[in-house]
Amino acid sequence: MSDRTGSKACRAGSSGIRRGEAVAGWVFTAPVVIILGVFLLIPVVMALWVSFSDWGGRGSPLSGRVNFVGFDNYTDLLFESGLGARDFGTAIKNNFWYVVLVVPLQTALSLFLAVLVNNAVLKGRGFFRTAFYFPSVTSSVAITVLWLFLFTGSGVINQILAWFGVHGPNWFNDPTGVGHALLANLGIEQGPEFLTSHGFLNVSWWDWLSGPSMAMTALILMAVFTTSGTMMLLFLAGLQNVGHDVHEAAMIDGATAWQRFWKVTLPLLRPTLFTVITLGLIGCWQVFDQIYTGTAGDPAKTTLTPAYLSYSRAFRQQEWGQGAAMAFILFFIIVIFTAFQRWLLRERTPKQPKEKRKPAAEGAR
Amino acid sequence: MTTAAATSRRRDLIGARLWRQVALYALLVFLAVIYIYPFLVQVATSFKTESEAASNAISLIPKTFTTEAYRRLFLVSDFPLWFRNSVIVTLFVTAGRVFFDSLAGYALARLHYRGRNVVFALLIAVMSVPGVVLLIPRFLVIRQLQIYNSFAGLIIPLLVDAAGVFIMKNYFESIPVSVEEQARIDGAGAFRTFWSIVLPMARPALITIIILSFQGSWNELSHFIVASQDPELITLTKGVAQLASGQLGQGTQYPLKLAAALIMTIPVAILFFIFQRQIMSVTEGAVKE
Amino acid sequence: MTRKQTRLRWRALALLLVSALVLAACGDDGSEGGDGDLTSSDDPITVLIGSSGDAETNAVKEAVAAWSAESGVQAEVLVATDLGQELAQGFASGEPADLFYMSPDQLVGFAANGSVKAYGKYLDNKDDFYEALVNNFTVDGEFYCAPKDFSTLALIINDAMWEEAGLTADDYPTTWEELTDVARKVTTDDHVGLAFGAEWQRIGVFMAEAGGALVENGNAVANSDANVQALQYVKDALNEGIFAYAADIDAGWGGDAFGKQVAAMVIEGNWITGFMRNDHPDISYTVVELPAGPAGKGTLQYTNCWGMAADSPNQQAALDLVEYLTSAEQMLKFAEAFGPMPAVKSAADQWKQANPSMVAFLDGAEYAQWQPVVAGIGDVIGDFNAQLGQLKTADPKAILDQVQSNLEAILSE
Repeated sequence: MSDRTGSKACRAGSSGIRRGEAVAGWVFTAPVVIILGVFLLIPVVMALWVSFSDWGGRGSPLSGRVNFVGFDNYTDLLFESGLGARDFGTAIKNNFWYVVLVVPLQTALSLFLAVLVNNAVLKGRGFFRTAFYFPSVTSSVAITVLWLFLFTGSGVINQILAWFGVHGPNWFNDPTGVGHALLANLGIEQGPEFLTSHGFLNVSWWDWLSGPSMAMTALILMAVFTTSGTMMLLFLAGLQNVGHDVHEAAMIDGATAWQRFWKVTLPLLRPTLFTVITLGLIGCWQVFDQIYTGTAGDPAKTTLTPAYLSYSRAFRQQEWGQGAAMAFILFFIIVIFTAFQRWLLRERTPKQPKEKRKPAAEGAR
Repeated sequence: MTTAAATSRRRDLIGARLWRQVALYALLVFLAVIYIYPFLVQVATSFKTESEAASNAISLIPKTFTTEAYRRLFLVSDFPLWFRNSVIVTLFVTAGRVFFDSLAGYALARLHYRGRNVVFALLIAVMSVPGVVLLIPRFLVIRQLQIYNSFAGLIIPLLVDAAGVFIMKNYFESIPVSVEEQARIDGAGAFRTFWSIVLPMARPALITIIILSFQGSWNELSHFIVASQDPELITLTKGVAQLASGQLGQGTQYPLKLAAALIMTIPVAILFFIFQRQIMSVTEGAVKE
Repeated sequence: MTRKQTRLRWRALALLLVSALVLAACGDDGSEGGDGDLTSSDDPITVLIGSSGDAETNAVKEAVAAWSAESGVQAEVLVATDLGQELAQGFASGEPADLFYMSPDQLVGFAANGSVKAYGKYLDNKDDFYEALVNNFTVDGEFYCAPKDFSTLALIINDAMWEEAGLTADDYPTTWEELTDVARKVTTDDHVGLAFGAEWQRIGVFMAEAGGALVENGNAVANSDANVQALQYVKDALNEGIFAYAADIDAGWGGDAFGKQVAAMVIEGNWITGFMRNDHPDISYTVVELPAGPAGKGTLQYTNCWGMAADSPNQQAALDLVEYLTSAEQMLKFAEAFGPMPAVKSAADQWKQANPSMVAFLDGAEYAQWQPVVAGIGDVIGDFNAQLGQLKTADPKAILDQVQSNLEAILSE
């Protein structure tokens, strides 16, 4: 993404240089540079220092009384086995399941909605688009409050489930993992020895298999509910770029709607797909507002996320170094996931002629 | 729908198409109900009594209609104060972003000066930092600058955003240079050219920035948590979030909380309905960048 | 990446470092809160409290306003939604509240990094406090802060439901067997027999009654047989449906469950009396001592103190306010308003006379356990509580083993 925009800037510059442009240029960009520098870049540098220090939250972190402790804060989180490290592992596990479920679900649902709404002869198209998009404009705080209410033990969701004879769980108070529940249905109540005795990040493999808890599942549904609208708009934009002539051509070839979707539309939507998944990945690893508003990590720490844990380590337990270290580990994870996703969705169908992809939107944001 | 499509042969085209249309609308209506119903429940519950909210959650018509939740919000709690604070912050942030983003966007699109590349690099670097990494560091800088617990601390860090600069820059690049040329020949300075010639032409992009900034700052939570602690400076998101997480000694209070969340949604909803068409194309613009 | 871009990145980085250095140079160092005299200024006093409800909030506000009028120093009471977070953020920001509620385990952490002022020795009435309370707020031999009051846990019984089940005062349970027995009798489709929060702060009473504890003589004893037995007892009753966690019956805490009448009995402390009077004045209830377990009677007790910030610019006035708030007269007023027991000996007799229906709370103080005072205990108990949430299906021994290893880790530090 940065490569493209960067080189574009370097290329620009055909119109002539005039008097005072240098001054004006700096004056015009100064507010942006100063504010972003002071409130975005310097903070990151300071936090990096804090993550290598033993600062306890009093006085300035830059004062002489604060000591450099090397990678201690990082190794404590990743390679020790104390409570702090276990909490961090749990938070990563929780958020991992959140990402693994939310990203595909929101992508599939929003694509589905976009295809439905994209129908040119559809009556009430505007209404449906508005209905699907509306949850996206509301704040995460307001939606979380609503969700807490919908998913109470005797709440709306469980009443609806009851119509179908399903006895719903007490969502936000139920730490049961969906994965463990499924395994229990198959008769596996206790994890086998080789899964319970080994693990990753202080969480046993068996616990990794627990999947999201009921509480986390409710939050996953909420994320899908609130983001699918925005993603739908992105796909709609992509679909409009695909245009009708391509479809007509395919229709003449006798392809069914299903074939057309998979063989023609989807490949052409690759750049939009890329954008949607990237946005999803970046957003999903930063779950904070919902946890702060709704669950504070409960029940049984099954909705603890690294973002929230980083905050509470620093602002509650005054373990600023560890809190900052978590934030940087999280940053690293986001970078890894985005890179992996980029590699996964890379171009590998040389059959397709280059010109055909031109009309599609560029995937950068 | 798809099974219908698969089985339909050309001979029964009209019948199949009709059937498909009905199925499509049924599906859309069903989905729309899922998306809208929660908000209707929210409105209804805010007018219920607390016990009815618990016992009769699903109904859209309160058995005993009461405005108690709203009375408490506006007369007993600090809610009006939170609302006022949110309005102040949002207005400043929106105005700031519109002005500074377009100024910088113009400079990057049109003006040539040494160091422009550095500015560009800064913007790109900033955009790749996930917000959650900034929670702790922002707090550190804000207290270092001694603007903790002040409106300055709430507003200034949000006053510009890199994405907005890019949107403006892209838009300015799409305006033909010839428009400005005449003004320049007439001897207008860079700022005058920008202010009275180019900016008025960038209305669609400006509206985009207004929508994004308004929504962004109205719905912001984490920055407000770390930037102040003074109860006088609590904004809606922070106030309602703390109300939701509850305190010992209070019940579940769902009508009250849902009323608070509802009122908080209204300004964004109004903005949404006014600029609906624009919003739909905002994201399209974002993709095309 | 092109070479040009690499250069760009470097330039950006250089810019960044320069500005970071500039900022570092102008960074202030904060004031040195030494052991010398208390600070004094004209600054107004801010009091931050974690309130159990309107009753407590109003009582504290009234008292502070009265002091303010008397002393001429401006003072404001703020109610925290999350006291721990607001305190920590306040200390880190350099602008903390001057006075605040603080629990013994919070004190350990805040004392270690110098956030709080040890002012106990300056108190005029320092000899009037119960010794056990003073010990809770003494770190490394220094008496840090004045205990504001204390509370114990007892069994709160809904009179109407009790009668409905055909029970009388003779049936108030005195043993575990009797407790399960009456809980079974009062449980109906609309309410459970006994409700409490899914936390050690409530379930710990059963551990105490079985003869267990978390820490004894500085050693971790969390996975003792007594504790296993206690959790097993609770687990069985939860699974039978005669006990329930407050959250599982859609209540925020025990008092909420009691007020909503979804539980016939709850385990709560003194604070519930103020809450009931304020929010549910029409429910009649009785407070009795918790039933004895295999090892006799047991309960938990809690106390908070008036913490003072090391960074407060007006500690002299804050001290004056603390003395006012901890006078026997004022403590009796608080007791009346929201239920806790006065922390000073001189108020004991008067409190007993004024609150005959609450004697059970004070009786409990004779055998109650304190929460262990160790740095990091809050996290360990938080982790314990997270596991107690799953007690219905989990193995009590496994839960306690983990608590044991967590405790050993913080005790060895």
